[in-house]
Amino acid sequence: MRRRLIVAFIVIALLSAVASSWFHTLIEAYRLPGWLDEVIFGPGWLRNLVHTLPGQPAPHPIRHTALVFFGVEAGLLLAMIAALAITASRRVLLPVRRLAHAATRMSGGDLSVRIEPQRVDELAQLVTSFNGMASALEDKVGELERMAAHARQFAGDVSHELRTPLTAMTAVTDILHEHPELTGDAAAAAGLVRQEVLHLNRLVEDLIEISRFDAGTARLVTDEIDVANAVGQCLRARGWFNVGTDVAAGLTARLDRRRFDVVLANLVGNALRHGGPPVTVRVGIRPGGAGDEQLAMEVRDHGHGLPSAAIPYVFDRFYKADTARARSEGSGLGLAIAWENARLHGGHIHAANHPDGGAVFTVSLPLNAPGSVPAARA
Amino acid sequence: MATVLLVEDDPAARQGLELALRRLGYGVRTAETGEAALRDFRDTAADVVVLDVMLPGLDGFEVCRRLRRGSDIPVIMLTARGDDLDIVGGLEAGADDYVVKPVEPRVLDARIRAVIRRTALTGSPAETYGELMIDRGSLIVRRASRDVSLTPTELRLLLVLSGSPRQVFSREQLLGLVWEHDYLGDSRLVDACVQRLRAKIETDTSQPRYIQTVRGFGYRFGPV
Repeated sequence: MRRRLIVAFIVIALLSAVASSWFHTLIEAYRLPGWLDEVIFGPGWLRNLVHTLPGQPAPHPIRHTALVFFGVEAGLLLAMIAALAITASRRVLLPVRRLAHAATRMSGGDLSVRIEPQRVDELAQLVTSFNGMASALEDKVGELERMAAHARQFAGDVSHELRTPLTAMTAVTDILHEHPELTGDAAAAAGLVRQEVLHLNRLVEDLIEISRFDAGTARLVTDEIDVANAVGQCLRARGWFNVGTDVAAGLTARLDRRRFDVVLANLVGNALRHGGPPVTVRVGIRPGGAGDEQLAMEVRDHGHGLPSAAIPYVFDRFYKADTARARSEGSGLGLAIAWENARLHGGHIHAANHPDGGAVFTVSLPLNAPGSVPAARA
Repeated sequence: MATVLLVEDDPAARQGLELALRRLGYGVRTAETGEAALRDFRDTAADVVVLDVMLPGLDGFEVCRRLRRGSDIPVIMLTARGDDLDIVGGLEAGADDYVVKPVEPRVLDARIRAVIRRTALTGSPAETYGELMIDRGSLIVRRASRDVSLTPTELRLLLVLSGSPRQVFSREQLLGLVWEHDYLGDSRLVDACVQRLRAKIETDTSQPRYIQTVRGFGYRFGPV
């Protein structure tokens, strides 16, 4: 800022020097009153002084000294204006800039920002208001975060507590169900109890899994995996022999084996249950966003596809695209868990409808899961 | 038929699991606390212990450790959370395997049978590898002429690995061969068991001669 002023000062001084000589000829023509002439261009004796200096060729007595005098005058005037401007800015601009800076830091997430009130004037009022607002905001956000943490903790605790009564029920439900002397309605009732107990188990299992993601305690346990082998095992273990696969041979990736299995099983299970045959699984390598390579797994079916209104919500917890179908085999958390598992790997899942019909779920995973705890130990 | 010592503090869970185990054909003795389990353990003549991790007083890990001091009886941990802490803690305390509550009777049955099977092997006569002597017929293992006391799982792991010396086994394979788990078994079971086995038979666990790690592949016996 200062440099600019100095440069401006020099430029204006030079310009005024040039202008004044032109100006002076005008004045001569229009006859400026004597006192004004002396104020602008200096007293007469100063002009004559130059005239008497030895060794000087006879200069135009008026022009040179007048020019210099005017130049110095202009310069001093400018310097005064500059000084005033700087002082004014110091008083007003700096606090405003500090306020703007603080607001920026706050919107960046730092809610502890406060400003020191510096003087008692209108700006101080603004500073006090700002500090007050920042305090209130910090308190509110803190309270909301605590509430969210409590809710997550509660969900996790509830699920855990549910396991205890479920242990006894799961252990004995077979005994009832397979009792030879139970017939008719009683047998049907026992069968129903068994079915629902197992359903409850799955639900609690999924709830606890989700609560681990929320609590941030979910961990990756990674291993170098042959992808084709893992896909095959996943499908065979569940008896899904009618699912087509297209996996590049020899493809390996560093992944959490169990979580990979959960994701694939969920997507294929959904495709088989809610989509339509044929269901195919295709895995290959794709260039990732950051210039690296990623594992891309596509699960596709040929059913009706996803209702387009549902697509943005399909990974939400307990979201059901078809609300008329209140009953589902799973817990309603399958896709949410799949999504979290992909994210834990540093990847993501994308849901869409294939242009030729049916739904396509695409899982992108880095070939090497980040920050992973390798299963191998020294 | 085998006898199970069930250590579980929740009354409903204890009763339910006892009913299920009896129906599967096991003899069942129960204990409500870790202290009771340790006190009555000898009298029960159990073949396998099913031990809850969360017990009042002495927790499951401590009970397992104390059991291990005097016995190689198979121990299966019952864990409610299936969290890392539970699993790793149980394995380090010397458990052979674990199941997560609520557990379906057929799963528990499969684990119990698998762990009992590990003690019932017959094989060829004694083999010697350096200081280590393995007798497959009598299931005796000696190091430098002193008997080594191994749990059924540790013994089974050693027998599988030494049965094919220099052959590399992946964790997945070992989970299937030793624990009879499916492809999604917890590979930490293998790592924990290897560590315990090394502590018992290796002279220098930081430079293992018998159970060697093959980085990126798994484990192998020797070359000695």
